[in-house]
Amino acid sequence: MSFLARFLRSPEGVAGLLLLACLLAMALLAPVLFPRDPLSIVGRPLIPPFADWSLPLGTDRLGRDVLAGLMHGARTSLLVGISAAVVALAAGAVIGTLAGFAAGWLDEALMRVVDAFQIVPPFLLALAFVSVVGASLPVIVLAIALGAWTGAARLARAEVLSIRERDYVAAARVIGMHPLEIAFKEVLPNALPPVLALTSVIVAGAVLTEAALSFLGLGDPNTVTWGSMIAEGRNVLRTAPFLSIVPGLGLVLTVLGVYLLGEGLVEALARKRRRQ
Amino acid sequence: MFSFSDFHRAFLAPAALLMGLAVLPAETVAQETPSGGRLVVAADSEPRSLNPAIVASNGVFFIASKVIEPLAEASYDEDGLEPRLATSWEAADDGRSITFKLREGVTWHDGKPFTSADVAFSALQVWKPLQNLGRTVFANLEDVETPDDHTAVFKFSAPTPPQMILKALPAVTSVLPRHVYEGTDIAANPANAQLIGTGPFKFAEHRPGEYYRLVRNDDYWNEGQPKLDEIIYRILPDRAAAASALEADEIQLAAFSQVPLVDLERISQVPGLTVVTKGYEDLTYQLVVEINHRNEILADPKVRQAIAHAIDRKFVVDTIFLGYAQAATGPVPKNATEFYTPDVPAYGFDVAKANALLDEAGYARKEDGTRFSLRLLPAPFFTETRQFGDYLRQALAEVGIDVQVVNNDTPAHLKAVYTDHDFDLAVGSPVFRDDPAISTTILVKSGIPEGVPFSNQGGYADAELDALIDKAASTVNAEERIALYKDFQRLVAEDLPLINVAEWTFTSVARDNILNIANNPRWVVSNWADTAIQP
Repeated sequence: MSFLARFLRSPEGVAGLLLLACLLAMALLAPVLFPRDPLSIVGRPLIPPFADWSLPLGTDRLGRDVLAGLMHGARTSLLVGISAAVVALAAGAVIGTLAGFAAGWLDEALMRVVDAFQIVPPFLLALAFVSVVGASLPVIVLAIALGAWTGAARLARAEVLSIRERDYVAAARVIGMHPLEIAFKEVLPNALPPVLALTSVIVAGAVLTEAALSFLGLGDPNTVTWGSMIAEGRNVLRTAPFLSIVPGLGLVLTVLGVYLLGEGLVEALARKRRRQ
Repeated sequence: MFSFSDFHRAFLAPAALLMGLAVLPAETVAQETPSGGRLVVAADSEPRSLNPAIVASNGVFFIASKVIEPLAEASYDEDGLEPRLATSWEAADDGRSITFKLREGVTWHDGKPFTSADVAFSALQVWKPLQNLGRTVFANLEDVETPDDHTAVFKFSAPTPPQMILKALPAVTSVLPRHVYEGTDIAANPANAQLIGTGPFKFAEHRPGEYYRLVRNDDYWNEGQPKLDEIIYRILPDRAAAASALEADEIQLAAFSQVPLVDLERISQVPGLTVVTKGYEDLTYQLVVEINHRNEILADPKVRQAIAHAIDRKFVVDTIFLGYAQAATGPVPKNATEFYTPDVPAYGFDVAKANALLDEAGYARKEDGTRFSLRLLPAPFFTETRQFGDYLRQALAEVGIDVQVVNNDTPAHLKAVYTDHDFDLAVGSPVFRDDPAISTTILVKSGIPEGVPFSNQGGYADAELDALIDKAASTVNAEERIALYKDFQRLVAEDLPLINVAEWTFTSVARDNILNIANNPRWVVSNWADTAIQP
């Protein structure tokens, strides 16, 4: 049975995949369906949802289209989530592999750096980084990755420690391969799968951290994000709660989708192991 | 001759009324304004220094004005002033001196008598050298003579308009006790936190993060006042919390628009609560677009005019301020009736004209539809300044100006705009303090050192405007002065060193049973001696 078939047998995985597919479609279609800047003012302020079919989710305090904001916000959220995960995993895997494979003082030094980063709560780290450097998308991605790469690094190192003792690594040494070549060509690919299992956790965390940063006014003010939509809606929470609820639901569904997809993948992998 | 006979009339009238009341049965008065009770109000910040003589700002006055009094308070009367520690004043014709007669029988909260030496000390040692506004208002103050304990004569080295000094009295003349401050480091004196004054309330305690407590001063000079036993300022930094606390009757008054504008309509329906828009007339804030003239695009007046035409002031007033504001025409707000002139070039909302002006200036639209890019720094002080920043970005996009909004917290914003000049456009909210000379001309005058907040840091310099400002600052005659400030408004509106968009004051929400609120044009920052609670 192929991996895909095994994956499709887990209901969580399928639900997660569907959710994420919808979100991805929203993100990709946003510039087609709403070619205008989603921050542009298109109607009367505070039109409630479903009252005007040209603005199905209504408008916010300044008369901006909530649906356009939601769809463009999906772009930002997914973009930040996925890029932060890629950066964190790449940095974590490389540093973890180096530490595990080199051992000795380099291992010690790198692991103390990891400790230093793990001591600071990731959100505070991101907060401090963004407020010092200034808010823009690449900075936010980097800020989130700063707090997320350590888990991947530790996991990669632990895997490498066991793999480096295997026979094929010793064989590679014997035929005279450069240690870096062994580390990245022979060891890293085999150490990667458990590290990749962290993806869903990191993506979900990154989406939430980005929302929290924007909520606190530290997002990029020139792009729509769900966090900033919730922050704006909070001022009118009593009179127009939908302004916070709509992007809030977007966040919930994204995180849920990522989580379910991760569950499905883990389950599919476990089935594979059982069969072996 | 600058005459104050009007003022004397106005002052004597209430005095006569008081004497009359002493003859009439006193019970009727007592029934009208009950005594006793505790007033709990919301406070949104805890200022670092509470000393109003050093930091003349509304956040400080909100608490300190009940403890430390100025020479005179603003009033809705024609002359605009009501005596406090001074009972009358007279200015010399040449604008080189003003004589204040001081109130007799006033004691400080620690029991020492209040004399002219306290006024002289405050003026020379505190207001002029240390105070943010006093530095401008008393720039030419040379000496304060004290011929007797209840007379203080302010001497100026150059002609100083008495009109400006009098307009400034409520904000800049909080009198400090000399015996507490003399010979100490004034800025670091413990009395800056544990205030000692002559006011109707004594400072009792401050629990950081929780509350300030003021208690009744039984020896207040005005017999029968204050009415309240206690005022508690509960610290509620979260604006949404103030509305809920009012509804739950945990607080009885929220001032300075602590209840967000969007909640006002809902809260005005709540039985027992009233929305009050009066009592802030002398605390007018102005919504302005500050411009960095070092940017060669913005140095072109046509571009500035185009920006002015691109802003829909009606939208700003109706949507951002929900009607609790007025569209502005120039640097002096409409409610400053003496100085205001509508006779200035107007910039109606006209996208086509804005586009035409930009084309004329030589900035044609490029292929992507934009002409040029600017960085906009909205001040983080108010929800409305930030929202206007978002709006301005959209409004300028309509005319092909690509705007990148940069959000900063307050210290970073002040540094970026007023010290580093690291902006193209900024949204600011200067305060109009009743006379253009106090804090308005500084917004466009050249030659101001960098780092001075709320001043011209955009590098604008116009010799004609500077000469006019200097001339008005030393013109003693009130009518000539007003005429000069009308010219000033015309020049600013013509050349647009900055763009005035709207002007607004605050709102209060109070329980119905709070009496005598909003009875002067800066009520929230006045002494509340007659404020009472109907049990």
